[in-house]
Amino acid sequence: MASYLTVVNQLIASATARIPHAVLYGENINTGSHLCGMTRNLTVPPGGRIINVGNCEPTHCGVGFGLMLSGVTAVLFMKQLDFTVLGMDHLVSTYAVIRAHRRLESLGSFTICVIVCDQGFQGPQSSVNALGDFCSLARVPGYTLTNARDAAHVLDRQLTAPGFRLIALSQRLFPSECLPLEVVSAADDASLLQYTEGRDVTIACFNFSLPEGYRLHQKLLGCGLTSSLFSVNHVLPHRWERILQSAAQTQRVVVMDDSKSVNLLGYTLLHEVAAESPMAQRLMVARGADVDFGVCADRLSIDDEALIAHLTGSDRANALRDA
Amino acid sequence: MARERPETLVPLAREVVRLRYWQLRLNEDLKQKRFAIPIHVAIGHEAIAVAVHAAMEPADQLVLTHRNVAYNMARAGALEPIDDEYALAPTGVCRGRLGSMNLANPARGVMYASSILGNNLAVACGLALGQQMQQRRGCVIVLTGDGAMEEGPFYEGLVFAQSHHLPLVILVENNNCSMSSTIEQRRCPIAIARLCEAVGMPFQPLQGNEVMAYAAALRTLCATARQGQPGCLEVTLTTFNQHAGPTPGWPTDPKRISLEDGLIVDRSANDPVFVVQQQLGVMRFDALAEDVMAQPPVETTVGG
Repeated sequence: MASYLTVVNQLIASATARIPHAVLYGENINTGSHLCGMTRNLTVPPGGRIINVGNCEPTHCGVGFGLMLSGVTAVLFMKQLDFTVLGMDHLVSTYAVIRAHRRLESLGSFTICVIVCDQGFQGPQSSVNALGDFCSLARVPGYTLTNARDAAHVLDRQLTAPGFRLIALSQRLFPSECLPLEVVSAADDASLLQYTEGRDVTIACFNFSLPEGYRLHQKLLGCGLTSSLFSVNHVLPHRWERILQSAAQTQRVVVMDDSKSVNLLGYTLLHEVAAESPMAQRLMVARGADVDFGVCADRLSIDDEALIAHLTGSDRANALRDA
Repeated sequence: MARERPETLVPLAREVVRLRYWQLRLNEDLKQKRFAIPIHVAIGHEAIAVAVHAAMEPADQLVLTHRNVAYNMARAGALEPIDDEYALAPTGVCRGRLGSMNLANPARGVMYASSILGNNLAVACGLALGQQMQQRRGCVIVLTGDGAMEEGPFYEGLVFAQSHHLPLVILVENNNCSMSSTIEQRRCPIAIARLCEAVGMPFQPLQGNEVMAYAAALRTLCATARQGQPGCLEVTLTTFNQHAGPTPGWPTDPKRISLEDGLIVDRSANDPVFVVQQQLGVMRFDALAEDVMAQPPVETTVGG
């Protein structure tokens, strides 16, 4: 089976090759490793341009909004989510000015495709992995690509849509095999995808935690429990009725979020679950408040057995509660 | 000061005088606290604003800063839709949605304005790239200042525009003022000419507030930009009013501007209206000023 990187790169190349008069730009997008492989084999139809640009991220972000004002479709590829911090002024302020007086349908399209360097051991300046924080600050849509299905769904629907959005890839997933998932249901805007339907547990994954959620799903199957597995690919608050319906049925909800944000959207989901299903068991699997700023593994670590025991109410779970 | 031929000077001189009159009226409204929003008047910027307006062709676009009043008045050709915008009324240039510091007027080519120093240069680069992509054959004029050029995006903008042969004209308004700090009070001198030379971009300094000379210089740089060679202008000027709000801004404010004192604020070449008076002669100027102030409100295009 092809790797996550191969699959997502092919989908990006295929999608951008169909955009008329597009501007695809970024640092090193058609040289060297092609941004670790994200932008390999990019092409554009006649009239479009692929521009290898210099190192000025704030300007690149502003240029995208200028192109959007011109009615052009622009895709900026960035090596690291950390670099996007340099362009936050445009994501927040420039887009706010534009949205204050222009109708969305009168605008071109601007997308930033960015790699989240969450593979670990990259050092303190490669540590931002919380796409939601960017989206919250700027009040813009953001999508995480975790597998072939959501990647196809998001790229098809968003790359040419009027307005602005962030689309993020996880470098941690680059070498891994693409998850063998099929879509049970998907929101039209690709904000929420459901991959399995089960009666016993509801698993809702945020940011790039779908692989961990899928692993839990498989281990639960080994225990004779079925689960409904969701990935919330979209960061702005939205409609997640299907998760709430599932929670009402299973009465057991696990929210997973591998981001290092202190403002996790998953808590909002759990709050809504509590309101609609007060007796439901609710578990949050997230990073603690103490984030290691040094060079480290940088990974959400989960004690799967303890989690399963907790869900099944076994002795191990009681021991955890006591602790 | 060169005497211009009246038949060519008068249309531009009329615009300079009109912008001054409208801004003085605006200043009087600010004294009366008519508006809830902060407004950055630009008394002293009229010559360059009129020159930009005169140099722009239909496909050209303008990107402004927070001190955009004079340019927006020149492009709108009327005071009322600007006034209404400041009053946040639906009849404003942008239906009362943008107020002052971000005021745009897309129908008149004013695509974007930013109150964040340096922010607008990148957006202007994007618009200029859009001009290229769509083969519109226009250019983009972006306004910045001696404060904003201290920001990194100024340098980035020079590099990006020159690297990609963008149809862009960068206009630096040097009023030796960033809020209340002069250049000497806040930084070392910056030789823009040498910055431009370093990246291979044409540069031209402007001073003296002669509107026809300004317009001619802008037309030349815009024509070059439309051919794919961006350029940069630095215009030295004086902002006679306070940073924001009315002038005087407080009871003991040494700056005093009043419509009752006439249209000329400073009897020197620092004042574009004084320059116009010198060019036209006092009698012709007085007749022009009287005519401008007697004009009824004008209907104009409201942007979307």
